Amino acid sequence: MRKTTRFGASVLIAAALAGQAFAQDVAREDTVIFDLDRTIKDPENFNWFTPGTKRMHGAHQAMWEPLFILNYATGELDPWLGESITANDANDQFTMKIRGGVEWSDGEVFDADDVVFTVNMALTNEEISSREAATVRAQVASVEKVDDLTVVFNLTAPNPRFAVENFGVRIFGSFLIMPEHIWAGQDPATFANASPIGTGPYTFTSSATNRAIWDRNDNWWGAKAGFKELPEPKRLIWLETGGEESRAQLMVSNQLDAAQNVSLGTFEAIQAQNPKVIAWYEDFPYAVADPCSRQLEINTTIAPWDNVNMRKAVAAIIDRSQIVNVALEGSTVASDTMFAQFGSMAPFIDAVKDAGYALPPNGDPAAGQALIEAEGYAKGSDGIYEKDGEDLSVAIHVNSASTEYTKTIDVIVEQLNRAGIAAKAVPVENGVFWGEVLPFGTYEMTYSWLSCGSVNEPWASMGRYTVKDVVPVGERSPGFNNTSRWNTEGAAAYSAIVDEMGTKSLGDPSVPGLVAEAYQYLDAEVPFIPLVQSAKLLPMNTTYWEGWPTADNYYNHPFFWWNHTHQIIHNLTKAN
Amino acid sequence: MTSQESMPTARAERRQAKRLRRFDNPWMNPKLFWGAGLLLGIIALGLIGRFLWNLDLVFTGSTPLKLPPLGFENLRKQPGVLDYPLGTDGGGRDMLALIIIGAPNTLFVGLLASLIGMSIGITLGFTAGFVGGRTDDVIRVLADVMITIPPLLILVVFQSAYGDVSLTIMALLIAGFVWQSPTRLIRAQVLSMKQSGYVQMAQLSGASTFHIMFREMLPNLVPYLFGSFIASVTTSIVTAVGLEVLGLGPQRIPTLGRTIYEAINAGALIQNLWWWWGIPTLLLATMFIGLLLINLGLDEVSNPRLRKLS
Repeated sequence: MRKTTRFGASVLIAAALAGQAFAQDVAREDTVIFDLDRTIKDPENFNWFTPGTKRMHGAHQAMWEPLFILNYATGELDPWLGESITANDANDQFTMKIRGGVEWSDGEVFDADDVVFTVNMALTNEEISSREAATVRAQVASVEKVDDLTVVFNLTAPNPRFAVENFGVRIFGSFLIMPEHIWAGQDPATFANASPIGTGPYTFTSSATNRAIWDRNDNWWGAKAGFKELPEPKRLIWLETGGEESRAQLMVSNQLDAAQNVSLGTFEAIQAQNPKVIAWYEDFPYAVADPCSRQLEINTTIAPWDNVNMRKAVAAIIDRSQIVNVALEGSTVASDTMFAQFGSMAPFIDAVKDAGYALPPNGDPAAGQALIEAEGYAKGSDGIYEKDGEDLSVAIHVNSASTEYTKTIDVIVEQLNRAGIAAKAVPVENGVFWGEVLPFGTYEMTYSWLSCGSVNEPWASMGRYTVKDVVPVGERSPGFNNTSRWNTEGAAAYSAIVDEMGTKSLGDPSVPGLVAEAYQYLDAEVPFIPLVQSAKLLPMNTTYWEGWPTADNYYNHPFFWWNHTHQIIHNLTKAN
Repeated sequence: MTSQESMPTARAERRQAKRLRRFDNPWMNPKLFWGAGLLLGIIALGLIGRFLWNLDLVFTGSTPLKLPPLGFENLRKQPGVLDYPLGTDGGGRDMLALIIIGAPNTLFVGLLASLIGMSIGITLGFTAGFVGGRTDDVIRVLADVMITIPPLLILVVFQSAYGDVSLTIMALLIAGFVWQSPTRLIRAQVLSMKQSGYVQMAQLSGASTFHIMFREMLPNLVPYLFGSFIASVTTSIVTAVGLEVLGLGPQRIPTLGRTIYEAINAGALIQNLWWWWGIPTLLLATMFIGLLLINLGLDEVSNPRLRKLS
C-alpha cells in the first residue's frame, strides 16, 4: 500500500517537473521543496494587491523582500530592505531609512521612489483589496520622499504600531514594494504582472496550478552589497501536495523538505519511517505555537444567529477541551480569551480573566439548551429543537485544506447535534473559502482565525471587530475585518474603547484596563466564539538541508508560507 | 452376490434421484445459498448488533483515539481492549459500532436505489416492448442516452453543489441512473415473448394490455428480473461508496464508504491504522462477493445450460 502511494507521490513530483527542460539542470540536493496547501488558481498573475494565491507560492518568500521582519524570538524588527524606521513624539509621522545598494533583479536601483510610488498606488486605488494595502490606505494620509534613501509617512491618526503593522511581517505578509519602472502607468486593480521581478535572491522561473519554481539570481544585490551571502539552495519549489497522506509519504521518501501542518499521529509515523524529519520541538508536543488562535466565526446578520442569546447558547454548548483531545490529539490547549496565549500577551489576557470574562474549557450544554428554550424552541422527537415547525439548524463552512479544520468542525458539529442543534459541516476548497465565503459573509458560521493579529499588544486583534469595517453581506469585508458584521450599540461602544486604545503607545499602563473594558462587549454579545490555541506541527526534512528554525535554533518562527521565509532560506545549509 | 450387486445400483439411483430433485428446483443451488448467506450475515450483524452493542460509541469523541483491535498493538504500543474489540478510529469512534450501523446503511442505499430503478425499468421496458411505435422510440433513445452517461460524474457535481443529503435522497439520486439497463433487457425479452403463443392467445381472448404485461408475461421474466436486480444493487453500492469515499455522502450517518474516506483523509495509511480502512473494505468485499454469488446462482436458474450435472 505504501509503495503505491509512494509511487503516486513520485508521479506527482515527476509530473510537476515534467515539461521543464531545465529541470535536470539543478540537482535534488541543490533544491528545496516546500509544501503548498492550496491550488494556484491563476499561476500567471503576480498582482498581490488582488485576492488569490499571489504570494505564498514563493513570491514573497523568495522574490519580494519585506522592508523589516518582526523577529518572534527577540520581539525586535530585523531590518531588511529598510534600515530603520522612527516615529515622531506624537506617533503620527514616521521616517524610514532604506538600505543603499538594493537592486531589482533586472538591474534597476531600488530606492525611495519605488516606496513612494507603491504606497501612493495603495492610497489612490480604492479597488485594490489585499489586507496590507487596505491597512496602509486606512492609516496613511500622505507619503513623501526626502532623499533617495529616506521616506516620510504622515498618518491619519497617531499609531505607535505603524511600522510593525505594515512593514514588519507581523502576521503572514507585509506591504510589499513594487518596481515603479514596471508598474507605472498600469492599473493596479487589473495589472497581471505576469513577468514579476523583485529584489530577492531568487527569480521567477515557471509556475502552474500545482507548483511554482524559483531559481537563484547569482547577481543578487545583497551579496554584492555585503548584506548577506548568497543563499545555498540553487532552486526553490513550492509544490501542492494535496492532503496529509501524500504530504507524509513525500516527506518519508525525501521528496519534500518542509511540509504544512500534519496531525500528531501522522508526524510520529513519518518520524518512525524517516528519522531525518524533525519539528519545532524534539519531543511531544512537537508543534510550534501559532499566533492565530482558532475561533468559530458567526455571521451576526443571519437569523437566528442575529440573536445574542442564540449565539451565547452555541458558545455554552461548545466543549473546548474535547476539541483539544479529540480533534487535535492533545497537542494544544483551549483558549481562555480571543488572544494568542504568548507570554507577551499575558498582561492583557490576565486583565480579561480578572474581569471575569475567561472562557471555560468545558461545555455546559444544559445552560445552552436553557437559552435556546427561552427563545421559544422545543425539542422535537428527533432530539432537534424546533420553532414554528422549523428545525434549528446551522451550516458551518469549513476550509477542506487541512484535517485540523475538518476534524475540529466534526467535533463541533457533533457537540451541537447532541445538544439539539442540527449542525452540518460544509467543506469548501481553500480558494473558495478565502476568496468567496469569508470576505463576503456568505456563511452562517465558519471555522477560522480572523481575530489573529496581536502578538505583543492587544489592538491588532481587537481592532479587527470595530464598526467602521462593517459592510453589508455580499460586499467584501476590508482586510477580513469584522466579517461577523457586528454592528450593535455594544459594538459601537466597543469600537470607541478600541480606538482610544489604538492611540496609546506600547507598554502604556492604561491599556490592560481598556482591554478588559472593551472585552465586556465581546463577552456580552459573542460576535465570534474563541475555541482553541493553534499549534502547527510542521515536519522539516534534514536529509538535504539543515538549519531549519526549531526551539533550539530559534532565529524566527518556522511558518514558511510567510514573508519572513527569506530568513529561513538564508539559514539553510547543505546537509553532509 | 445379488444383494452385493444391487447395493451400488440402489446408491446410484438415489444419487441420480437427488440430482434430479436438484434439477427440479434450480433455486436450490449452492452459489445462491452462499451469496444469500453472506448478505444475510451482514444484515444480521446490523440487526443483532443493535441490541447487543452500545451504538452511542458511533459518535465522534466517544472513545479513546486510534486503539487497535483486540490482540494487536498500534504505533504507540497501546494494546487493543475488550471495550472496543475492533479498535477505534482517529475521531474517537468505535469500529464495531461503526460497522453495525454503517454496513446495513450501505446495503440499504444499494437495495433502495435498485428497487426504485428496477420499478422504473420494468414499467418502461414493458411499455416500450409491448406498446411499440413512438413510445418505444422515445424510451429506447432515452435509455440509450442515459447508458452512456457515467452516473458518478453527475452525482459528484450534484452532491458538491447541494452538500449533505440523507441516505434516502442519495438512493433516489442513484436510482435515476440504474433504470436504463433493466429497461433495455426487459424490452428485448418482451419483444421476443410477444410473438409466443400464449401471449397471442391472451390477446385474442381480449385480455387487457396491463393483464398481459403483468399477469401473463412478468412471471416468466422473474429470473431475469432478479439477475438484473442484483446487478443494479451492485452498481448502486459501487456508486454510493464512490461518492462516500470522495467525502460526498451523508455526513453524520455512518457508512462504510465514509469511514474509508475519513481514514484516508486523516492519514490512516501512513499511521498504520489498518483496521480503520481495512475492516470496512473487508465488509464491502464480502458484500460484493455475496452479490456476485447470488448473481451467478440466478444465472443458473434462468439459464439451464449453466447447471452442472454432478
